[in-house]
Amino acid sequence: MSLSVQSVTLELGDGDQKIRALDNVSATVLSGELAAVLGPSGAGKSSLLAVCGGLRPPTSGEITVAGQVISSLSPAALTKVRRDLIGFVFQQSNLVPALTALEQLLLLVHLKGRRPKAADRERGMALLDEVGMTQRADRRPDQLSGGERQRVGIARALMSEPKLLLVDEPTSMLDQERGHAIVELLAERCHQHQVATLMVTHDQTMLASASTVMHIRDGKLIQER
Amino acid sequence: MFIAFRDLKFAKGRFLLMALVVALVAFLTTLLSGLAAGLIKNNISGLVELDVTHLAFEYNNKPSYRNSMIDREMWEGWRNADGVLAAEPLGHTMFNARMIDNSSLDDVVLWGIEPGSFLEPVASQGEALGRVENGVIISKLLVDRGLKIGDTFILDRVLTELTVVGIVDEFNIGHVPIVYTPIRKWQEATYGPPGGPPPGEKLPDILFDYATLVALKLESGLAVTEIENTDIDFGTLTIDKAAAYEASSGYKEELATVNMIQSFLIIISAVVIGAFFTVWTIQRTREIGLVKALGGSNTYLLRDALGQAVILMLLATLFGTGGALWLGQRFIESGNPFVLDPQTVFSSSSFLVIAGLLGSAISVRLITRIDPIIALGTER
Repeated sequence: MSLSVQSVTLELGDGDQKIRALDNVSATVLSGELAAVLGPSGAGKSSLLAVCGGLRPPTSGEITVAGQVISSLSPAALTKVRRDLIGFVFQQSNLVPALTALEQLLLLVHLKGRRPKAADRERGMALLDEVGMTQRADRRPDQLSGGERQRVGIARALMSEPKLLLVDEPTSMLDQERGHAIVELLAERCHQHQVATLMVTHDQTMLASASTVMHIRDGKLIQER
Repeated sequence: MFIAFRDLKFAKGRFLLMALVVALVAFLTTLLSGLAAGLIKNNISGLVELDVTHLAFEYNNKPSYRNSMIDREMWEGWRNADGVLAAEPLGHTMFNARMIDNSSLDDVVLWGIEPGSFLEPVASQGEALGRVENGVIISKLLVDRGLKIGDTFILDRVLTELTVVGIVDEFNIGHVPIVYTPIRKWQEATYGPPGGPPPGEKLPDILFDYATLVALKLESGLAVTEIENTDIDFGTLTIDKAAAYEASSGYKEELATVNMIQSFLIIISAVVIGAFFTVWTIQRTREIGLVKALGGSNTYLLRDALGQAVILMLLATLFGTGGALWLGQRFIESGNPFVLDPQTVFSSSSFLVIAGLLGSAISVRLITRIDPIIALGTER
């Protein structure tokens, strides 16, 4: 299994302002599986992504990514885990404005401390080809549509060959048709690359491609099928 | 530097604007450095060119070219003191001078020196002192005012006539051109009656026993106490050559003013650069959070941001300094006091780059405080 969440609680704020964003949450996602977490705004979807992605330490519980317990690691070690084991697909794609589509992918090679070689460029172009963006490889984000940016975001997430893909509301800025296409693309890629994928969304119509669906409300995972 | 280079290209408008500000500051700093060096040269070049290590003034609270007066016993005493390689009297008096046709030459400083001594400058044109009656060597500044070799001019008030026999570079003191004259002529002009002695009479010998100060060549490493003891013996106050510059009128004030302007420019530059990179970092908060979420370390991001600052500072400083050098050259050609030496240019540019990098380093520290969680949309 590539992601294991065991009895994770996340409390935010202090004193009277303290809220329980995640309440004793447990879940597993296997390699090649697309698990969708559905819930309304404020239910804890993004908090779940934050703890699974090492962006926020849980108050209690244990998170394991590709066999490595990440819930008690230092910030520096978590940076390395995110770089080596986890791929993110963000809401609104979140691309670096100054980089072209191909450079968004090559940035991950730089973050590992080495200059991209011809093989890295070839891999980047192959991934862009998988998401149908070969012709737009030299375009910057401001020259791409919302759907195109999201496709580049998916290709970037796969560039470092992650064990876990965390996907945050990938269709929130897209119309339904394009949204469906993106989720289908994600499902295909995670299956093809055998990556465990956890996708949070508030859109029920996007669940058809998911192999597992969980519901989250008030920080609790209340249903799993 | 992967993102830094592409940011420079992507946001070239903003970076060009900032580079322009840095270039203008570099331009002003270098120009001021050149002018400061020029002013210093113009003020104390005569002193700089003196082949001495120390000057001994008449004992007073502070050394003064105008108020000092020493006698023969003093300079001869110094000549025979331990650790003294050479000692010569030097006379210093300011006069207003005019040409024979009464056109003004403005102020000149008459320096009385022993012809052939180590105090006599080597004339770049003409000949040495002592061969022509009333012959003097003049600073090039007086050539710019219309004098040439063979011309005779008059010292106002004392009506002493002097003839130009040699010309040296722009040797001045207190921005006033120096006229080098044999010390006896200086003593006549300074202490004698206007127009010289009455016909058939000669000036009393006692007039020739006085000068302004003793110019000294001391052995290197001579103990300060040794110098102080000789000072006590002869009633003098000895200062080294560098300290003697400050005794030149206006030197300290000019230097302080120019240094203050330069310091302010460098501080302003550091603050402006710091402010720019602070705003730039704040604008990039989301992007930096994203790169951190993707696995970018603080070290990687700081190196990238500082690299960007280094490129900006170096290129802009190079451009601004180049402009100042070009204008400085025009200044020199038009006879203005401006000195372009590599040390002046390098030190002013280096200070600017260092100050700018300090400013940017303080601001890009913000990077370390950015939480990668903002990549998830809002700060939760």
